[in-house]
Amino acid sequence: MKTIFQASGISKHYGTTCALRDANLVLKAGQIHALMGENGAGKSTFVKILVGAIRPDSGALVLDGQPVVFGSVRDALKQGVVPVYQHSTLFTRLTVLENLSAFGLGSAQRSWARNNCLDRQQATEVLSLVGLDVSLDSLVDELSLGERQLLEIARGVGRRCSVLILDEPTAALGAREANRLHQALQVLCAKRTAILYISHKIDDIKRMADAVTILRDGLTVVNAAARDDISAAQIVQHMLGQTFEPQALCVSTRGEVVLEARDIRLTPTAQPLSLCVHQGEVLGIVGVAGSGALRLGEVLAGAASGHGGTVSLNATSEVVNDRQSAMRAGIGYVPSDRHADGLFLGLSALQNASASVLRGFSSWGVLRLREEAGPFDALIAQFNLNPPRLDLDAAYYSGGNQQKLLFLRNLVLPNLQVLVVLEPTRGVDVGARESIHQALRALACRGIAIIVVSSDLLEVNTLCHQLLVVASHQVAGRMMADAQTDAVLSMMAGAC
Amino acid sequence: MTTLIKQHPAIALGSRIGVIAVPLLVFFLCVLFVPRFLSVDNLQNVLRVGSILLIAACGQTGILIVGGIDFSMGSAVALLSVVTVILAPELGVALAFTGGICVAVLVGLCNGLLIAYLKLPAFLVTLGMLLVLHGLASLLSGGMPLDAAPSPGFLWLGSGHVAGIPVPIILALLAVLSLHGLLRYTLVGRSWYLVGTNFNAALNAGLPARRMVLLAYIVAGLFCALAGAILTSRVGSGQPNLYPDLAFATIAVCAISGIPLNGGRGSAVQVVCGTLIIAMLNNAVVLLNLTSAWQQLLMALVIGAAVVLPQLSNVRRRCVHLLRGNAQ
Ligand SMILES: Nc1ncnc2c1ncn2[C@@H]1O[C@H](COP(=O)(O)OP(=O)(O)OP(=O)(O)O)[C@@H](O)[C@H]1O
Ligand SMILES: [Mg+2]
Repeated sequence: MKTIFQASGISKHYGTTCALRDANLVLKAGQIHALMGENGAGKSTFVKILVGAIRPDSGALVLDGQPVVFGSVRDALKQGVVPVYQHSTLFTRLTVLENLSAFGLGSAQRSWARNNCLDRQQATEVLSLVGLDVSLDSLVDELSLGERQLLEIARGVGRRCSVLILDEPTAALGAREANRLHQALQVLCAKRTAILYISHKIDDIKRMADAVTILRDGLTVVNAAARDDISAAQIVQHMLGQTFEPQALCVSTRGEVVLEARDIRLTPTAQPLSLCVHQGEVLGIVGVAGSGALRLGEVLAGAASGHGGTVSLNATSEVVNDRQSAMRAGIGYVPSDRHADGLFLGLSALQNASASVLRGFSSWGVLRLREEAGPFDALIAQFNLNPPRLDLDAAYYSGGNQQKLLFLRNLVLPNLQVLVVLEPTRGVDVGARESIHQALRALACRGIAIIVVSSDLLEVNTLCHQLLVVASHQVAGRMMADAQTDAVLSMMAGAC
Repeated sequence: MTTLIKQHPAIALGSRIGVIAVPLLVFFLCVLFVPRFLSVDNLQNVLRVGSILLIAACGQTGILIVGGIDFSMGSAVALLSVVTVILAPELGVALAFTGGICVAVLVGLCNGLLIAYLKLPAFLVTLGMLLVLHGLASLLSGGMPLDAAPSPGFLWLGSGHVAGIPVPIILALLAVLSLHGLLRYTLVGRSWYLVGTNFNAALNAGLPARRMVLLAYIVAGLFCALAGAILTSRVGSGQPNLYPDLAFATIAVCAISGIPLNGGRGSAVQVVCGTLIIAMLNNAVVLLNLTSAWQQLLMALVIGAAVVLPQLSNVRRRCVHLLRGNAQ
């Protein structure tokens, strides 16, 4: 196969941390090349270097046999190297169509006038290619996380490109959407596009990648191994640097009802839904992108309001109106979009982690700064936070480590009764995924009710006692977690 | 920038030096090129004039940190001065000043309520407030400056001394120290940084984000009131045109000192440095007898330099990138 894009000897330092050391990568036409590695291994850094978003300290890129230096992402796009980033780069106040055309999709013209009337036909085709079913004129603001992710992918996939780079495209997608994406990628492969595919989902990689490269601490530990030469267990071992055995989750028992939601409508016309969550229970809420599952999670956490209905805490009969009252009542929350709704990028990781417990280390409104970091020392080790310190700007942490920061914030809440987590393991590696699962179950054993909204059926199945399936903003079914995956899948799809 | 964030040591050190280096540079330039700059009287004068600006800028800083902006300060101090002078004969000096100060705090409260709870844009609310308050001050004073009955009490705030140090300078020091304490060591200050960095995330973390925004405007009202009271006492009259561009001057101070307008960053040290730069320049152009056109141009030049200098390494790196990129 013909080599299209080649990177050699790439290194990148951030201060004293070495994000990448002498990395090499060869992308071939019509091949899906998987790039793997634990959180903070340097994958996103590599991607940013490949598309000219940042400059390496050393190393060279060769495109189609010609050495290239991309001054900016624009340069890379012009030459057919197209990125889909890990974190959203959509314009949320613009419509789907405008977002597609802003990326110069479908036309090579420079003029804005031409771009603006990118023909709708073409745009619809691109959307259907990735299986995104929304109106071209809907605002991105109104799309769910999964739909945004699909749109983000559509922007990349729809563009004529010779190299497509996807940074954790399926992190927020369910199996159905992921399959759809994989089909779209196969089509591109047939057109001899070279694809770099970053993911923490080993099954996906085993299924579709032709070659696997694994990074650890910025070092390349496996370089372009053919898929069949490397087993799933080996991949994990290379990523984490040790063998990995999932441990049994602790078994929690169900206590009394803690949280009760009555007659909640997710849209004005949807059927009202009610549910209650017990102490020590882990409730899973699943649904395809745009089904309203995430919305339901937000409503339960007090982060969004439904159309009518109440969410209340049983013990104190406190009604949850907003996050503030929810926090008073002891409802923790990990939002799905960590950059937009969760993190304070620009402030230190410690300030991010302690944001919800300011009162805990202050008296009369004065902070006792010395005590601020105390509760986190043990947690940093438990979650294997990388870098293992909290004084850096939160923006300097890798995607998965940022997710861990959000968990730290909630784990130190003193009066935690209910924890609502949306997409808890979005973008975290196998090891961290395991520690997050362990932590959630450990909380459940302490009698805390956990509500998990996830697009990852496997995760919900291992973690939860009960499942609530949401489709078209309504409850499509409830079942025990060991139910047949097929049944759940059809239920998720059925009412759509 | 010296905010609460601990950055990479090298970056942090570089920007900290940058923050202090520029006022020092301006100082030495003034000493070298401006006759009569380096005298005790003149330096004291610089500080006294600067102290009013500094106090108001402290308020502006809090607001910028929560991601807002306040254009109404100029009219707020004018209204304060008019009200104080009107009240003085009847209530006595102390109560009159208290009344005036209440007015300015009330202005902050109104701004805050409209912005935090009615979710109106800060830009428009405070700009509207600027006009409304100016109208009100003109109405109350009949459009003319009202002279206060001269009494030592009335003039004390502006020109009194304690232990040989002018009162405004002492008050400015107190203001800066309290801003520093507030930002670094209190729950409110911390919340301001969080709210200004990401309002949504602050809500989701369970912080009373709206109340914190309101509080920033009230605190700014307090700082503004203090500045206004000193100003009123200094001029000894109630003037509807007391310091019309106070708000813009404070924003210039913040901009010079590297406090971004999009929230989440800023510190007391920065405000002090920014104010010193502006105060020294204002003094220098007067001593140099420049025509007002030259005064403005020089100011613009120095402000530009102050904004670019601390970023110099950044700018250089970007230029190099551009050149390299184009060479290929
Ligand atoms: N702007 C930055 N400043 C300082 N350090 C950074 C910066 N960006 C990344 N890093 C560090 O570089 C390392 C690699 O980060 P990168 O984002 O490439 O990881 P990743 O492999 O994409 O991880 P994840 O799976 O969590 O997304 C991390 O240790 C991270 O903390
Ligand atoms: Mg990443």
